[in-house]
Amino acid sequence: MLQLDENIAVSVDRNGQPVSFLWRGERFSVSDRPIRWYARREWWLEASRVQRGIGVSVLEVEMWRLIAQSRAKNWVQYDLRHEENRWRLVRIYE
Amino acid sequence: MSSFTHLHVASAFSGHYGVTRPELLAEAAKADGATALAITDRDGLYGAVKHIGACLQLKIDPIVGCDLNITDADGTPLGRCVVLAHGQDGGLGWAALCHIVSAAHISGKKKNGIAITLDELAKHAIRDGVALVTVLLGPDSDFGRATLSADRNLAAACLLRWRKALWAKATLGIEIVSHITEPGTDFCNVQAHRMLQLADSMGVPAVITNAVRYLQPDDALTADVLDSARNLEPLGLFRPQPNAQAWLKTSALMQRLALEITQDQARATKLLRATETLADRCRLNPPNDCGWGKPKTPEKSTLGIDGNPFEALWQRANAGIDWRYPRAGDKLLTTVRHRLSQELITINRLGFATYFLTVADVAQMIRDLGVRIAARGSGAGSLTNYLLGISGVDPIEHDLLFERFLSVERTSLPDIDIDVESARRHDIYREIFKRYGSSRVTLLSMQSTYRGRGAMRDSGLALGLEDEEIDEIAKNMWRFSARTFRNALAVKPELADFAQVVEADRRMNLLVDITERLDRLPRHISMHPCGVILGDSSLLNLTPVEPSGLGLPMSQFDKDDMDPMGMLKLDVLGVRMQSAMAYAVREIERVRGQKIDLDGVAKDDAETFKLIRTTNTLGIFQIESPGQRELTGKHQPTEFNDLTIQISLFRPGPMKGNMIAPYLDGRHGFAKPEYIHRDLEPILRETYGVVIFHEHVLRILNQMTGCGLAKADEFRRNLEHPKLAPKVRDFFKTKAAEKGYSKEVIEKVWAILEGFGSFGFCKAHGAAFALPTYQSAWLKTHFPTEFMAGLFTHDPGMYPRRLLLSEARRLGVRLLPIDVNHSTDEYLVQPAAPRTTDPNEPAVGVRMSLTEVQGISQGEVERIIAEQPFKDVADFYLRAKPTRRTLERLALVGALDELAGIDRHTRGDILVRVRELNAVAKRPIIDSNQPMLDFDVVERIPIGNQDFSDEEKVKRELEILKMDVSQHVLDQYRPMLEEMGVVQSNELVSLRGKTEVLVAGVRVATQTPPMRSGKRVVFVTLDDGNGCSDATFFDEAQQRCSHILFNTRLLLISGQTRRTGVKGVSIMAENAWDLRELFEAWKAKQPRLSA
Repeated sequence: MLQLDENIAVSVDRNGQPVSFLWRGERFSVSDRPIRWYARREWWLEASRVQRGIGVSVLEVEMWRLIAQSRAKNWVQYDLRHEENRWRLVRIYE
Repeated sequence: MSSFTHLHVASAFSGHYGVTRPELLAEAAKADGATALAITDRDGLYGAVKHIGACLQLKIDPIVGCDLNITDADGTPLGRCVVLAHGQDGGLGWAALCHIVSAAHISGKKKNGIAITLDELAKHAIRDGVALVTVLLGPDSDFGRATLSADRNLAAACLLRWRKALWAKATLGIEIVSHITEPGTDFCNVQAHRMLQLADSMGVPAVITNAVRYLQPDDALTADVLDSARNLEPLGLFRPQPNAQAWLKTSALMQRLALEITQDQARATKLLRATETLADRCRLNPPNDCGWGKPKTPEKSTLGIDGNPFEALWQRANAGIDWRYPRAGDKLLTTVRHRLSQELITINRLGFATYFLTVADVAQMIRDLGVRIAARGSGAGSLTNYLLGISGVDPIEHDLLFERFLSVERTSLPDIDIDVESARRHDIYREIFKRYGSSRVTLLSMQSTYRGRGAMRDSGLALGLEDEEIDEIAKNMWRFSARTFRNALAVKPELADFAQVVEADRRMNLLVDITERLDRLPRHISMHPCGVILGDSSLLNLTPVEPSGLGLPMSQFDKDDMDPMGMLKLDVLGVRMQSAMAYAVREIERVRGQKIDLDGVAKDDAETFKLIRTTNTLGIFQIESPGQRELTGKHQPTEFNDLTIQISLFRPGPMKGNMIAPYLDGRHGFAKPEYIHRDLEPILRETYGVVIFHEHVLRILNQMTGCGLAKADEFRRNLEHPKLAPKVRDFFKTKAAEKGYSKEVIEKVWAILEGFGSFGFCKAHGAAFALPTYQSAWLKTHFPTEFMAGLFTHDPGMYPRRLLLSEARRLGVRLLPIDVNHSTDEYLVQPAAPRTTDPNEPAVGVRMSLTEVQGISQGEVERIIAEQPFKDVADFYLRAKPTRRTLERLALVGALDELAGIDRHTRGDILVRVRELNAVAKRPIIDSNQPMLDFDVVERIPIGNQDFSDEEKVKRELEILKMDVSQHVLDQYRPMLEEMGVVQSNELVSLRGKTEVLVAGVRVATQTPPMRSGKRVVFVTLDDGNGCSDATFFDEAQQRCSHILFNTRLLLISGQTRRTGVKGVSIMAENAWDLRELFEAWKAKQPRLSA
């Protein structure tokens, strides 16, 4: 497994589900059943304010686990992190 | 789709786990369209009563369960599961749940923490083949965890065991939960899916919950901090919650979640339907299931009554008339009988006869133990209470009203609070358990909540801040709610430094935010300081209990839960002053052979009131605080009722209601009392036209409308409600007009009643307090030595003991130093050799107690007492076997002076001898057959070593005893103070108002009472050995000396005198300095004395 943290561009469908992403200039298409889950942040290391009502994004982050392939690469599992309008590629299971 | 019912919800009463108060959870569920809601606090039913109350109000059905640890027979953990009580079964389900929770606390506590074995759980869960509760196995159970393991058979094996143990129909369910965590970890969809598959294949019904621990996602941050407090580790050092999904999700979201887990619409529907089926089974009918609102008292037989309890009450109360009114004339007796009949009729109509008999029984039991007892609160307004010996205040003599205490307009059980000697309180509890049996009695619990400093400490822990860092900040947290911490940073001068740090330091910023989040959350459960619940033999079917610190069982319900549950709570409050007075009375008898009946002392002793009027009231119950002393100076009480009034005036309500000044003006003739109408004059004469007491309002309403006193009390209560007050107004105006009062009078009186709101005070309560006030003042006046000995021993007041010492010295009470031959573990009154030729010098003094020596162990104290007397220092060393440290400390404070012969030796000599003994490697064992070479022959104390100076003696005393016994701590500063022209506290009263003065002393109290203006005012009280001086710091003065205002011990204060009455004077402070710093500077400037 490879850990990384890189910006990627992701196209999503109507439900917000990723269908493809662009990483290091290469387009990856996603298989039909990506799995969404929620992970957490260590806000005590990152945040500057945590007052009541600040909102859950200080603590929680949406994640996607999906299987994708590109022209150069066969089907491999990836973890994507989605925060606000940014997508990051964080894990590759090869 | 129908609404969803949450079956697994932890409230904030799940200590250090849940975040949201039950009322808020219920409101949110109702708003989302739910028809029922469960509460399943961890390890107890701590929030259950509040939940039921909230549900009843919102007209949804309450469901109650508990989230508990289960073990197998040998203690191996089987994880957590939820136990839900079945409802509408006549209380069987509720009782089973109570017994399960109690069992988890009693049997599990020994080795596994709070847990119940599976076998015991099964025993309570099923009766005669019928399930009384449902046990839900969720992701935290062994079965749930096993579904994540690679071994497929493991989970099935786990479930099989549960199914076998809980064999009755519908006792067992599988709880499907997904917090949508990372696939393959706890609480993920995959786990939920597998659990569902196994449940289906093994024929166990499955339901879906969200294992809720907070209301909204945002609350998850608070949950993180609570996790840290529970784990006692900073965030980052333990595995935190996986995300923020454990909130009270809406029905729509739960339905979507069911589909996400099952990936099958039909299965999802079935899962949701099964959840509702279980919910229906658990809907409680609070009156039938939990005994909600039904009063419960001990059975007649346990009170020794056969026949009608009301007749028994009638007889006992009437029998009390001879006891309480032995010399009464016919007129008084008629009044007494008439009043008693009226009270008894009300009591009978309410069906409370057994309740009164129970309280009377307890009161009699306490008296039989030889313990002092007094009533407090509105109960003192009841003649019945007086005749039964529950209260010691005569309501007829003091003009108190029964209706303020109890009336047919109020049906809740009244509160009767009893004060006893604090030192005997636990004995009394044990006797109550013995007398009524442990199936009918439990202690009451109390949920303490996070407040300022506590919230900050646990927040600091979560962020991994150093203890010292937190202490430094917490020290300056003074009188403000942690909820408004950030706001306080901007306005409080003593937080200015910290505010700057916050701006620059990210972690400090977080600290402020999470401290605010923690504020007011329940923190931990503990024994209520005075509450005992008395019920019938079914009590333990209605409340779960757990062991208290005292070893006696304690209910998991708190005082607010008592009234809704119909439980009889008796407040048996330990009052140190009662112990101190009982001690003084015992010492008087022991030393002088004089028996004192304190309760029988006439309440009009002129000497006693003379002492009170000097304002030297330290040690006197209720009127020793700086504010009360100031008020005493202005008020100058001359009779018992004055004490009642003064105690009642110095309360937040009357202070906010601005009642003090008009009362004093009337009393001192500065203003003519305004009675508005001659009919009101008899009611308000005692307070010069000022409406202070609840009783006044009752009488005025009754007088002007003829509504009766019982109804009047209901109106009084309604006056506080903005919605109900207009109805009272309409009634009052109409009826008063009908009775012929003029419009002007009606408007004037109404303006007063309307403004009265919650400001007044119950006179009965004031009178109940005034009794020990008078008694302690009487003892201080006539037996100062014995009284001070009682104060030292039981330490009842708000001040440090060294201030009482200072007061004793001022009173001429002789203080006898600690002496290993004469001191014990109490402050005994002992004969003292004359020091002067003054014939008035008392022949007795107070012997300081051994327990004050820092670090002395109980064993050492006991040995010293057992081996007394000693013949010399070596003998003491051999037989009392003190540690080296204790021996040296005893020598340093002069406890060996007399033993060593201080007339021949200096304290320096004694110290040399002690160090010589301490240098011996091993203490020789006493053997009567052997000569003790070094020890037996002649005590060899050297001579010629330097004696201690007076300053050194005081320094050692302060170090070791925390008290200055031989002289006042300020004495060493006197040369400087004289040079600076510092005024002594007892001289202040002779100065004109607005005189510029300097005062100095040891800080004895700091107070920031609530002020009408809302601005903070700080009162600092100093003791200089001649009495106390009180300084008031307003805004600007606070700014000038903010760094020392709350912390520095020895202070010099500059300011202007302010006359507040005949004997009243205080100082309007301008600035303050650290006396010790000034002294160092002063010493440095002194010309060296030539040697």
